[in-house]
Amino acid sequence: MTNFLQVLLVGIGDGAVYAMLGLGLVVIYRATGLLNFSQGELSMFATFIVWTLWTVGMPLPLAVLGGMAGGFLIGAIIQRLIVRPVGDPHEKPLAVVIVTIGLFLGVNGAAQLIWGTLDRNLDPLFGAGQVEIGGVAVAWQKIGAVIVLAVMVFLFWLLFQKTKLGLAMRATASNSESAALVGVPVQKLLMLGWGLSAAVGAIAGVFTAPNLGLGSNLMQLTLIFGFAAITLGGFDSLVGAVVGGMVVGILTSVLPQYLEIFQKMRLAPAFILILLVLLFRPQGLFGRKQVSRV
Amino acid sequence: MSMSPAARKWGRVAAWVITFAVICALPLMLPAFRVDQIAIWMTLAMAACGLNLLTGYNGQISVGHGALYGAGAYATAIFMVKVGWPMFPAALIAVVISFLLGIAIGLPALRIKGLYLALVTLAVAVLFPLVIEQFSSITGGGAGLTITTPQVNRRGAVVDQKIEFGDMAGLKGDQVRYFLVLAIAVVCFVLARNLVKSRVGRSLVAIRDNETAASVSGVPVSLVKILTFGVSSAMAGLGGAMYALVNGQVNLTSFTIALSISLLVAVVVGGASSIIGPAIGAVLLGAFNDFVTLPEGLAGAKPVVLGAILILLMFFAPGGLVGLYKTTMAKRAGRQARGDGGEPAVPSAFAAEQLAP
Repeated sequence: MTNFLQVLLVGIGDGAVYAMLGLGLVVIYRATGLLNFSQGELSMFATFIVWTLWTVGMPLPLAVLGGMAGGFLIGAIIQRLIVRPVGDPHEKPLAVVIVTIGLFLGVNGAAQLIWGTLDRNLDPLFGAGQVEIGGVAVAWQKIGAVIVLAVMVFLFWLLFQKTKLGLAMRATASNSESAALVGVPVQKLLMLGWGLSAAVGAIAGVFTAPNLGLGSNLMQLTLIFGFAAITLGGFDSLVGAVVGGMVVGILTSVLPQYLEIFQKMRLAPAFILILLVLLFRPQGLFGRKQVSRV
Repeated sequence: MSMSPAARKWGRVAAWVITFAVICALPLMLPAFRVDQIAIWMTLAMAACGLNLLTGYNGQISVGHGALYGAGAYATAIFMVKVGWPMFPAALIAVVISFLLGIAIGLPALRIKGLYLALVTLAVAVLFPLVIEQFSSITGGGAGLTITTPQVNRRGAVVDQKIEFGDMAGLKGDQVRYFLVLAIAVVCFVLARNLVKSRVGRSLVAIRDNETAASVSGVPVSLVKILTFGVSSAMAGLGGAMYALVNGQVNLTSFTIALSISLLVAVVVGGASSIIGPAIGAVLLGAFNDFVTLPEGLAGAKPVVLGAILILLMFFAPGGLVGLYKTTMAKRAGRQARGDGGEPAVPSAFAAEQLAP
């Protein structure tokens, strides 16, 4: 039982990180209907910015803010220069997939050019300490991830539900043409969406890096988990991303403990989840029906 | 410069003959490791050709064909090493297995389309090396599998030795491998060309352009889509099987997401929905990876260049190099036919089609 509690808590901690990445994916999807295959790489790049700031002597929390700012800028610039000219993802899925894969390659390579191919060490944001909960030791880092996720969700909720800016963003997401007609600066908001998404990605990366080592492939697995999270939750639902992230985190932590076949393939439960949800409930748990079927 | 149609036709024939002569002459001039590298580009070209049938002609996006190529390679290795089959039956069963895997992925693809299919296949690509690692008792896990066959050594004892293509008809082992792969690749491309030009090929394109209209016109949409997935995967698997034979060993690090992306790059750079495009793309990509060496610290420059090329192509030449060539030719023909002013005599609907992805 303590064993179960242990893997459950680890799963919740991991799930919080998947949810963070998922939030970034959802923000972009809601606004543009685009599944951003380069989200993980943007997040990795921003994490390297955090690492650089931290290495030159900035305290880690401050460096994280710096990395978020850097990520925000890069995300916004990429949207303006590269993503905007491609067009509607639902009309030209291949073009969009190719462009985001081009971004994936480019950003990954750029990180290798700048920071080399060796893995770097990033200290855990919440220290290496542990705390005992119900007889099992849980790293502060995991608890920190859950707290940060909660803060993040609250801030997103404030932004989307309580500010004029958020209202405009929701208008853009629901019908960009009508929004533009009533004077919403749609393209600027899409830039903002990409910026926010990359900034959130920075945090997800900061929580992933201490475990895996900070290299250019940092977020590739996490991205699939993030995709599984938003597939389950619904591609356009922020709440869904959080719930989905938690479910995916718990499944991928608990299942390998009891089923030997998953031990080296923690990704397999996530994959099966993606497949089943897309097949039988393509809109996910909380999403609006949107995925097209034959 | 104006050319009569006959002259242009002979020009094309000459271009093909010269290309083919160069392809046949290369292995006789290059060192063995280069010959093997080029043979491996050709195996990638087969997989890219299969991917193109699926993505370029049928409009089903797969970011996971590296996994099918890997499945073909591993199936060949496993049947040779663990079951003890000779190489050609092993390669054949590998193609059948890849075909069946393709059907298995094609079934959910009937309900999952576009970006979401890309997502599922991406997950397949990432999952593949982990599956290989999980079943390490069969696959050799992280150490990979070296392909051996029982052979009688000089003392008369039967021992397992690494597969070798012996010298044949005055050709060395690497040249034998090269021409074997070349022959199979040519067969692949000719089959793909015939398929695309047939009734089935037209139904592939019809489904890509408008599924409902295709269905109303009597195209059995589900059947065609599933079979396309199967055939496409079988070609990827065949490429993988040939890779295993040329390389003599398989290792999971060769079949990561990077391979799947490379195949997609080959298709897009060469030209989706043209038969020869993926081959050109695969060769250019191979040459870029194997022949261009960068200084130590610049390891990341290649993917940056590739990424930039992909993005620029999507903006300026979505039909890839072949598409670019065709539109240029169509424009020139239009100018010639127009003479001094007037409307273009050759409608550029073809050019427009190439430009619209």
